Amino acid sequence: MEFFNNLDIGFHAALSLNNLLFCFIGVMVGTAIGMLPGLGPLATIAMLLPLTYTLEPVSGLIMIAGIYYGAQYGGSTTAILVNLPGESSSVVSCIDGHQMARKGRAGAALAIAALGSFFAGTVATLLIAAFSPILAEVAFLFGPVEYFAMMVLGLTAATLLAHGSFIKGVAMVLTGLILGLVGADVNSGTYRFTFGSFSLTEGIEFVAVAMGLFAFTDIVANIRNNQTREVTAPSLRSLTMTAKEFRQAVFPAVRGTAIGSLLGLLPGGGAMISSFASYAIEKRVSRRPEEFGHGAVAGLAGPEAANNAGAQTSFIPMLTLGIPSNGVMALMIGALMVHNIAPGPYVMVSNPEIFWGLIASMWIGNAMLVVLNLPLIPLWVRLIQVHYWVLFPIILAVCCVGLFSIENRVLPIYIAAGFTVLGCLFWRMRAEAAPLLLGFILGPLMEEHFRRSLLLSNGDLAIFYRSPLSVVMLSVAAVMCLIIVLPQIRQGRKVAFEEEV
Amino acid sequence: MCSGHSARPAACSIYANEVLTVIFKTNGRADIEAGLFFTFFGAATAALSLQYRMGTIAAMGPGMFPFILGLILAVLGAIILVKGILGGGEEARPLPLWPTILISLSILVFAFLLLTVGLLVALPAQVAIAMWASEHFSWKRVIALSLGLLAFCYGVFVYFLGMSVPLLAV
Repeated sequence: MEFFNNLDIGFHAALSLNNLLFCFIGVMVGTAIGMLPGLGPLATIAMLLPLTYTLEPVSGLIMIAGIYYGAQYGGSTTAILVNLPGESSSVVSCIDGHQMARKGRAGAALAIAALGSFFAGTVATLLIAAFSPILAEVAFLFGPVEYFAMMVLGLTAATLLAHGSFIKGVAMVLTGLILGLVGADVNSGTYRFTFGSFSLTEGIEFVAVAMGLFAFTDIVANIRNNQTREVTAPSLRSLTMTAKEFRQAVFPAVRGTAIGSLLGLLPGGGAMISSFASYAIEKRVSRRPEEFGHGAVAGLAGPEAANNAGAQTSFIPMLTLGIPSNGVMALMIGALMVHNIAPGPYVMVSNPEIFWGLIASMWIGNAMLVVLNLPLIPLWVRLIQVHYWVLFPIILAVCCVGLFSIENRVLPIYIAAGFTVLGCLFWRMRAEAAPLLLGFILGPLMEEHFRRSLLLSNGDLAIFYRSPLSVVMLSVAAVMCLIIVLPQIRQGRKVAFEEEV
Repeated sequence: MCSGHSARPAACSIYANEVLTVIFKTNGRADIEAGLFFTFFGAATAALSLQYRMGTIAAMGPGMFPFILGLILAVLGAIILVKGILGGGEEARPLPLWPTILISLSILVFAFLLLTVGLLVALPAQVAIAMWASEHFSWKRVIALSLGLLAFCYGVFVYFLGMSVPLLAV
């Protein structure tokens, strides 16, 4: 009964005219930007975050969430029509989705992607509503020791599953943790690493970090990249799928939803891994594996459902534990903190309208995507052909004005310029920037819990081995680190990511 | 390279050109550079932490946690560096030099001009400098984009969201 009660609170919040509008804006902007070349969900959200600061917390979060799954969907559309993934989680959709388009089934492919995503989104929304309260109950039992252990585990797993070298990922997490410590120390009030600047006492503005590392660095990386895009445009009449295609899509979509929901829960999991896993499984269970790569319906429906389910269930650890499992969730946590809401199990109790409103809006947003996007395909097709030289000045200017508008100061803009240079160097050094962002968000929290644990134990480090939960989490993290050193598995991981390039 | 294509600022001397070519264009090993960066950043953090009170393990001062992080990072950096020197490292991506400089510069110029002159100048200046980094530079495009963006930023930030962005800061 409580389950329905909660959903009722959620729909009540999400269905207000205002929030519906922001959900709509988020979904549309997200789709548009997900389709554009060289602008992933992380850069998009970073760019639009300042806009959400002036909104009510619920509206702001609903809009950001809308951008996230809108971008997911937009990425698949580009994958199917142009054979270029709009973003990393739709890489797999290129394989069979584009083949379908070339056989004249572009409309059907888009419809399968949309309906598969919608089905997965519905199931994932129900799962979040059902399991978040349970997970939050567990989180209430956590003390500082368990929290610290969980952060270590979360960061390790997120780094392990992100692509790129593992050791450089860990180094990036540490760099992020250190950068997160800039500003006043919570316990003593000492200003750390501010170099005498009063403006830095509140820490480095995290939107500036995100914009510099993602939006601006992407511009530098893409500016000389002149890809010509050939669009296989579908006619509107071909949007309907045949009964046979529908039958072929049903079971893969169900399986994809299950895989995605599960993998999204894991730290470091989410949309991309889910879609890869689903494709591999569909290929294995298929009775006609030779069709894969030549327009197999199952090879599109499965991964599409999986990436949407994964994108959505990755909200669970963020909402209940306050632990971001990927870069997008790190930005969501940052957005919550701006509104003075500390992410964690207490959000559900103290701000039920935010928690349940966000969940209800996910379902509404998914429904909007299906209803609005299919008829708008001609518009999207034109958008895909926008030149990059039009795009990047827009990104730059909107980001810079946004940075200024956060606090009417130019300091965040200067910081963003610094992180642009840093981001370019990281790009050159093949060091992934997303782990840095996770560390940056978790830095102060991790220090807090570490210090409090040792204060409780009176300086005895063994406290981390006395709590059974903490032992389990730290051991899993240690095992993960060991596994990555073994060459055999490192090879397997390399192969898994090579398909993407 | 200073002159990737014709409309490039030709201010740099041949010598500087060669040095920059070595730094930015040679496909050196990514891990050597990353190792150096992390070692230096970690060591600097640990060194700077020393100026803050360390405290004891039980009652940590503000210097302890960053000191520990800095040390671990420096060690990891050293491992990455050694891996790079021994030849197991990854190849670096070729970073386009002029876009890196021009895009960063355009952001700095925007920040500087926004409060001294105002958005009406800062935004077109940014667009012009940033466009210079692209092969598609033309004054017509700069003007068109600037006008469009000024209208958009004014509409969204000032009119719709009610933020105070100085159009002309005199």
